[in-house]
Amino acid sequence: MQVKNVKLTKDQFYKTRKQVLESWSTGKSLSLDESFRYLNSLPEHKYFSKVLDNAKRNNKLLLQPRGGVATLRGQKTLLEGFIKAGADLMPVTIDSYTRQNEYLKSEKGLSESLTTKKSVLNGFPAVNHGLKGCRELNNSITKPLQARHGSPDGRLLAEIIHASGWTSNEGGGISYNIPYSKNVSLEKSIYDWQYCDRLVGIYEEMGISLNREPFGPLTGTLVPPSISNAIAIIEGLLAAEQGVKNLSLGYGSVGHIVQDIAAMISLRTLATDIFKKYGYTINLSTVYHQWMGNFPREESAAYSVINLGSLTAVLSAANKMILKTPHEAEGIPTLEANMDGIRTSEHMVKMISSQIGSIKIDVTDELQIINEETNLIIDKVLDTGDGDLVQGTIKSFANGVLDIPFAPSIYNQGSVIPIRDHLGAVRILEFGNLPFNSHIKNLHREKINKRVKMENRKANHDMIVSDIFSISNGSFFKRKSHEVMKC
Amino acid sequence: MNTDNTIVMGVIGQDCHSVGNKVLHFAFKEKGFVVHNLGVQCSQEDLIKAAKEVNADAIVVSSLYGHAELDCRGFSTNCIKNGLNNVLLYIGGNLSIGKSEWEVIERKFLKMGFNRVFSASDDLEWAIDSIYNDISLRKFKHPVSVTENKDASQKRKVN
Repeated sequence: MQVKNVKLTKDQFYKTRKQVLESWSTGKSLSLDESFRYLNSLPEHKYFSKVLDNAKRNNKLLLQPRGGVATLRGQKTLLEGFIKAGADLMPVTIDSYTRQNEYLKSEKGLSESLTTKKSVLNGFPAVNHGLKGCRELNNSITKPLQARHGSPDGRLLAEIIHASGWTSNEGGGISYNIPYSKNVSLEKSIYDWQYCDRLVGIYEEMGISLNREPFGPLTGTLVPPSISNAIAIIEGLLAAEQGVKNLSLGYGSVGHIVQDIAAMISLRTLATDIFKKYGYTINLSTVYHQWMGNFPREESAAYSVINLGSLTAVLSAANKMILKTPHEAEGIPTLEANMDGIRTSEHMVKMISSQIGSIKIDVTDELQIINEETNLIIDKVLDTGDGDLVQGTIKSFANGVLDIPFAPSIYNQGSVIPIRDHLGAVRILEFGNLPFNSHIKNLHREKINKRVKMENRKANHDMIVSDIFSISNGSFFKRKSHEVMKC
Repeated sequence: MNTDNTIVMGVIGQDCHSVGNKVLHFAFKEKGFVVHNLGVQCSQEDLIKAAKEVNADAIVVSSLYGHAELDCRGFSTNCIKNGLNNVLLYIGGNLSIGKSEWEVIERKFLKMGFNRVFSASDDLEWAIDSIYNDISLRKFKHPVSVTENKDASQKRKVN
């Protein structure tokens, strides 16, 4: 069967649902009617969509850290700590075995974590905890919960978390496949995410508003804004077709203030226009991810990177910000490191918010570039699929019209090579098969050439590697910043 | 440096961190290694199978997501079981959940049979030079015919 961008019929959905629920023991007891009654009994402040609506009305930037540990008790302690430090929205990061449907391995990791009283898993194995554990967690926490993972096939996970009252789910058929997997076809991941979205659509029909959030940053490493924005909007459209009404579209900082603000404005305005153009009524919010790439090991430097993200998130009027911690370079952070990340972010947000009226930054040029590029990509994808967005997406990855730098998937061409220009913005050195016109391509080339001259070095692999690590080092360039100023 | 040093590399388990893998691949190639990069999400079996196929001098394992200990259990024994008696084993990355004492982590993985354990903050150039020296030393101690090595490396496409 060829996957198309068409709402799954109830018949298709329930037929698949039977298999999904049977794929692990904790799925068998789920009933949509019982879940509806539970969700319906939850107060408004447990709903992601409602909390986001309130924040939008009050121009408040909501803070959400990341975090997941193996045991229920550990996860409760973690989330309670997040709330104490000032976080608004709760994450439950799911372990990597669960993300790949290896529930037996996560089961073993869970029991070892219980025995040793130390998490040996990098997240919360929600499928193994099942409805009982996930609901207990939800009941013990006063703020709304979201599953954050990276599952190409997160259908059973979606069933369990929503039935447990977690009112948001992150991911999508592109964003949780291409950056997260080596061998999963887009045909399969998009079909499986249509199921997750249809599930949210069915709850919506019953009057339960759940939030969905495509994963914006993709590989988090020098992704040109137009590429990540185009993919976020495409995933938004795919979700909308399945009946999702509350969408948060995300963007991962490239560490460049002007480009980041422009990217966020472009994401918000283009998404609004495009959803309207295709006849979808969407309650849209935006998410800003603090720097997702290589992080400095020095905690003092890591705080700078975190605070840069907070600054830009406020200036770009994001509704939610996803936070990093001073332990980012070390792997999975402790609760204390997470609390420090939340506190430093909150402080910075307050300071910038109080003076935002006096800050004027001109992002016109960047905005124009990102808008034009994003439109070119989305139009070409639709064209490639003869109007069908799913087929267009699959074919566009195959021929390189869609191409995510540094992604591990064999379904990604990997021909697009990003690099920073003379002013530190992310440009494109190799275009692969991106559907850009010569005017755009020349613009990138000119700016890259300026850097080549300025630094007197070649735009090659060596330069790209230094760009990958430059945020950790502080300067985008090899020379000291005061010398760059003189150029 | 000569081109006779053959390595198999990959990110173990369900880890999908691909950026470092690509950077590392390039750095080994620059230093003249014959690199067979299996990319992300490799099982022990994938790495061992490839190492046998290309008669690798070393297997270079990466892990960034915290499950390294779970994913690497029995790795060294499995290598020997599969006839890889002479292959050098390396691991590097963020090898535990959370910030832990490096000496403890290093000791744990050395005990598991890895010849060297690299932390994410180690200098890349130094790490590659160490691996180069280890391989040279081993070849000096256990000389293998160079042609045999070359033939084997041609059986598999270099990534």
